[in-house]
Amino acid sequence: MLKVRIIPILTFNGWSLVKTKQFSNPRIVGNPVQAARIYNSRGVDELIFLDILASKQKRKINLNIVKDVIKECFMPVGIGGGVKSIQDINDLLRIGADKVILKTEALLNPTFIKESANFFGSQCISIAVDVIRNENNKYMIYNDLGIDITMDTFTKQVQDLGAGEIILTSVNADGMMGGFDIPMINEAVKNINIPVVCVGGGGELSHYRNLFTNTICESVGSASIFHFTQHTPLDIKNTLKEIGKPVRV
Amino acid sequence: MIAAIIDYGMGNVASVQKALTLLGIENVISNDPKVIRNSKYIILPGVGSFAQGMENLKESLLDKVIVDEALIKKKPFIGICLGMQLIATTGTEPHEAPGLNLIRGKVIKMESTNLRTPHLGWNELNAPDDSFFADFNKKDFYFIHSYHFQVDDEKSIGATVNYGKDYVAAIQKENIFATQFHPEKSQKYGIELLDKFFKKNA
Repeated sequence: MLKVRIIPILTFNGWSLVKTKQFSNPRIVGNPVQAARIYNSRGVDELIFLDILASKQKRKINLNIVKDVIKECFMPVGIGGGVKSIQDINDLLRIGADKVILKTEALLNPTFIKESANFFGSQCISIAVDVIRNENNKYMIYNDLGIDITMDTFTKQVQDLGAGEIILTSVNADGMMGGFDIPMINEAVKNINIPVVCVGGGGELSHYRNLFTNTICESVGSASIFHFTQHTPLDIKNTLKEIGKPVRV
Repeated sequence: MIAAIIDYGMGNVASVQKALTLLGIENVISNDPKVIRNSKYIILPGVGSFAQGMENLKESLLDKVIVDEALIKKKPFIGICLGMQLIATTGTEPHEAPGLNLIRGKVIKMESTNLRTPHLGWNELNAPDDSFFADFNKKDFYFIHSYHFQVDDEKSIGATVNYGKDYVAAIQKENIFATQFHPEKSQKYGIELLDKFFKKNA
């Protein structure tokens, strides 16, 4: 039976790990290589590393740092930040990335999803889908590119273009540690048939119990709970085991 | 006596090298037919589409080298992920294309069930007692694929994995070993599995 995945997320600003709240107020939380080493020793299911400023600052992700992070990992690693060409993807795969995560380019030029999935296979192309609840309670894609598109339209489009996975983050819940956006997740997962990593809001173990009880979510990504509490990925797994979810321990 | 990790522009060579280095196996990443012919072991990793993978192998004349060394000279061979699929007779991703034909069979899209595809994440192997993979029965390994290898001769199946139905997770026939999952990404058991491959073929 396929196990649920608990995935620590490292967000990087170009020189340090940071953790945002609702995608702003980044707080410095340490060194990426050290963090990767710890997560590897804890045997986590997977790791995600994102340079959250690369596209905005119009620069490439630092391949040397990515290489050092991956060097620590004997589990799968997804990497994102400033990826906009086949060459960028190849550069990351060559140094050991298992999945490449697209965001800005997926919004600006959706056919790039198809191009990269055809070239490298759907399984290594993940899309970061950042969602904000607007004043009419509609779920929209959060971006500063002036693109106005609903979550449901975009996720469906991304799937049809051949993406292998969606990293679904609630901007409203990001870093708040107040629980996951259950209605958003339910709306998103029933709309598509590719794996979805649910992100944003986990702050205590009961939030994960709630997420896995009230949605058909199969994987979760988290950062704050690991940075700011004593809980580890294993604590979350033990919690999910109690409610009958298949976990790898 | 060195292990050649075949570099044909299809992904994860660095991760495989890292695992081999951890095990103390002398290794080289190469697309040079001479280096591969002189190696003791051949490792064919890879992610991506079948047709692209074969095209790249042919471009560097490596398809013939692999067939000579693995099928005729019986050099220990392990294919990983796309590297397992490419040893089939035929592939279908994104269109039909001939494979290396080390193991007879066809690589086709996983059946659409109510489960999500790709089959992505940690899943346990089911390996019969007499299989090379028996030590890893019920252990979790990391899978990430949308196509699967439908093997003609069931005797060459080393392990299966269940995702709605049973799929081939590993192959073993004489000197030819292959895994649909990624041992190099499967933490402790993955490293142990690679270790077992090198020890068995030492």
